Amino acid sequence: MTSSKNNLIPIAEFVIQEGKRLGATECDVRISSSNSVDTGVRLGEVETLEGAQSRSLQFEAYVGKKSASTSTSDLRRPALTELVRNTIAMATASEEDPFAGLPEARYLAKKIPNLGLTDDAIAKITTEKKIQMALAAESAARGYDERITNSRGASFTDWSGSTVFANSHGFVGSYSSTHCSISAAVVASQDDQMQVGGWSSGALSFNKLESPEQVGITAAKRALRMLGAKKVKSQVVPVVFDPLMAAQLLAQFVGATAGSHVYRNSSFLAGKIDQMVASAAVTIIDDPLMLGGLGSRPYDGEGMPALKRTLVENGKLNTYLLSSYSARKLSTTPNSGSTGNLYFAPGKLSPEEIIASVPNGLYLTSVSGPGFNVVTGDYSRGASGLWIENGELTFPVEGITIAGNMLEMFKQIDAVGNDLVFRSSTVSPTIKIASMMVAGD
Amino acid sequence: MIIEAAETQLQKLFGLSAEQVQRVLDTATRGEQGKKQGVFCDIYFQAGTSQGLTFDQGVLKNTSSSTTSGAGVRVVVGDKTGYSHTGHVNVTNLLQCAKVARAITEHASGNANVALDASDSLSQHNLYPILNSPVDIALQEKIDLLRKIDKEVRQYDARIQNVTVSIACESYTIIIVNSLEQIFVDLRPLVRISVSCLAEENGRKETGSSGGGGRYEFSVLAEDNMWQEHAHIAAKMAIDLLASTPAPAGVMDVVLGSGWPGVLIHEAVGHGLEGDFNRMGTSAFSSLMGEAVASPLVSVIDDGTMQDRRGSLNFDDEGTATGRTVLIENGVLKNYLQDKKNAGLMKSGVTGNGRRQDYRYAPIPRMTNTYMAGGESTPEEIIASVKYGLYAANFGGGQVDITNGNFTFSAVGAYLIENGKITRTVKGATLIGNGPKALHNVTMVGNDLSLDRGIGTCGKAGQGVPVGVGMPTIRINGVTVGGSQ
Repeated sequence: MTSSKNNLIPIAEFVIQEGKRLGATECDVRISSSNSVDTGVRLGEVETLEGAQSRSLQFEAYVGKKSASTSTSDLRRPALTELVRNTIAMATASEEDPFAGLPEARYLAKKIPNLGLTDDAIAKITTEKKIQMALAAESAARGYDERITNSRGASFTDWSGSTVFANSHGFVGSYSSTHCSISAAVVASQDDQMQVGGWSSGALSFNKLESPEQVGITAAKRALRMLGAKKVKSQVVPVVFDPLMAAQLLAQFVGATAGSHVYRNSSFLAGKIDQMVASAAVTIIDDPLMLGGLGSRPYDGEGMPALKRTLVENGKLNTYLLSSYSARKLSTTPNSGSTGNLYFAPGKLSPEEIIASVPNGLYLTSVSGPGFNVVTGDYSRGASGLWIENGELTFPVEGITIAGNMLEMFKQIDAVGNDLVFRSSTVSPTIKIASMMVAGD
Repeated sequence: MIIEAAETQLQKLFGLSAEQVQRVLDTATRGEQGKKQGVFCDIYFQAGTSQGLTFDQGVLKNTSSSTTSGAGVRVVVGDKTGYSHTGHVNVTNLLQCAKVARAITEHASGNANVALDASDSLSQHNLYPILNSPVDIALQEKIDLLRKIDKEVRQYDARIQNVTVSIACESYTIIIVNSLEQIFVDLRPLVRISVSCLAEENGRKETGSSGGGGRYEFSVLAEDNMWQEHAHIAAKMAIDLLASTPAPAGVMDVVLGSGWPGVLIHEAVGHGLEGDFNRMGTSAFSSLMGEAVASPLVSVIDDGTMQDRRGSLNFDDEGTATGRTVLIENGVLKNYLQDKKNAGLMKSGVTGNGRRQDYRYAPIPRMTNTYMAGGESTPEEIIASVKYGLYAANFGGGQVDITNGNFTFSAVGAYLIENGKITRTVKGATLIGNGPKALHNVTMVGNDLSLDRGIGTCGKAGQGVPVGVGMPTIRINGVTVGGSQ
């Protein structure tokens, strides 16, 4: 059985009490417990059934300005007392960091809103039904076109969990959430070329999932459209990022607003508050409080309130993401060092209109490799997608790279689409960057 | 009952008797109607600690420790796998895992009678014997080392601003028991230092990094020549890059340095030769066994038996002794990397490459230490042979699409070669190629084979495992370089 949040709270309170008793000047504890089942099929048969019950506890102790953290999956009380004792000993043997400590009590969340993050229907889905849905997704993909010749499989995954966070200032917060997803990946082949295409739909509630058939057909289409992919010549062109690629780009950009990069002066956005860091078309919002959102949470990882905020407003950088530690380093007020539901505010153009505005360029559907440097903003990735000629998607391209500098790229975003869908915790509509270096033949 | 051989450890680490463990195996392999044919079960026990310390901007910022104690029960029938794990090991939870994992047997089909490859190699290794667990070394010794490295990096050049140094140590006991009455016990230590720094001049900032480690004692990391090398490499990289200009874009001849650039081999061919993708026919290499997939100068080997190395194991995470597998010999594709299940289904023999991140995952075919064998050219000859091209000596990571074979790997700073001479430093860029094609363009292979310093972690199917890569200096013609100019 998964421990419900109500069972976890007394454990958290016990750990904090032991922390205080055994000599911690401040401490906090985070406990998570979850159940998950992964049902995988391939070529019309069940291939994997995985079930797991996980739980973990992380304890952090401060002895003055010295600190240490530990984690364990053993939640029995004698083991926890031992863990607390060892953590405090480790903290005592470590060294002072003048900026270490919990957030001050006044910064902690006073209310824990109910964000509707659970769906009881998920727990009631039978194994047979899960298998059927995975089979239906794969079968829709394989049946879509005769050039779909092989499968990497399809799966239905469901997850439910609870988390509790408590600290020695008296904060105790807890919430539960659920998640389920359907995914499929199939192989299309033609001549000597094979291309894999995958798709997945995930949601906190079962009735928000795309249908298995929809997931399968999207996977098939994504594989098929890449058949016959070739290189293009090196050239400087507009690049249209599809919503998934734009969301990846957004995550990398916002990563550079992390206080830990800023206080180290190791971000290309350091020192740029109140400056234009993107074109006026760009507004970036973080909203952890969306009801039923995939990135929603009622408080942050330090017990500070979750608040909706505009990180970039019409191109101007409003704020960094500041944990209590980062805020102390930068002599300012903390505002939470992490994001909830992060997105580009949608614009007015449809994706078709954006593509139609490009005489010659790349519609980007996949990137690879780690090529992004948060210090300089230098960006260089392997790329594939569809080539745009005279405003229309024409042929698939692969084996090319795109490169630029993130700050310049964001200043060159000249179109933001209206096709924002909250399919994960970081999402974006289609966007267009006016010019990037594409390297190919 | 052979499990008794490890009963002392099972009792000490998990409070389990041999009889209880046998009951779990029996529950997993027997349905209501008794033992089923062709059903295999193993239980993977893991217990131990990992520890990390980070020294950042001149102070000790993080000291953390994580204790793991868990077990995963796997049931395999034909090509089907049931798996369940628990982070709270006792006989009740293990029996529950066994029941969850066994559910897969109700879906057995055509190849249910294809047994996985249970052959056991006679070779026994003792690749990383240690006297002192790295986790047990006093914190103060580790803090002192961090401080020394921090100081060394700063002293390299006044333009060095920020330095972050971290130490990671772990030590895990692994016990594997299976329904073939086999039992395996291993103690796996692993240590690593990472150094990164930022240099600044006239408002321009660049970073450098280095790191290394292996399956050995902490005292090896603390040897002066070891940590000083990492400090100097990181500092030099950051300082050199201050003078860099944007990298060129387009197709050119590229010289890759020895050691860590072997990540090329890992991405371009290694992943594509893992047994699971080839059994399913979804790898770009699936139909190429016995064919020339590289220039005759190229031989590629995966070797899990190298002493002390980060990617080495005495046996893999299914209990198969690790080996040395020739993947490509003089350009010709020779072997795949296999775990028990895929080896059985492909009838191709185990290679000791069934690995898992930890007890929460079922094993899949993975690389260990993968490298290109050395050739005859000197590195100087190779650089001198290039009229206009890139010399990429330092690399970040890489990625590959197994199915179409396209791989990328990322140079962290490189040098321009003009008329056979290195002329200037250029910024990093992504290099891109196609697995079954790119290595045909290897025209020179150096005599300076080296392995990386022990920093690599490979990700596949959400599981990270420590690996090694290696390569001599090589020249590849016609590589697409993703610079910005």
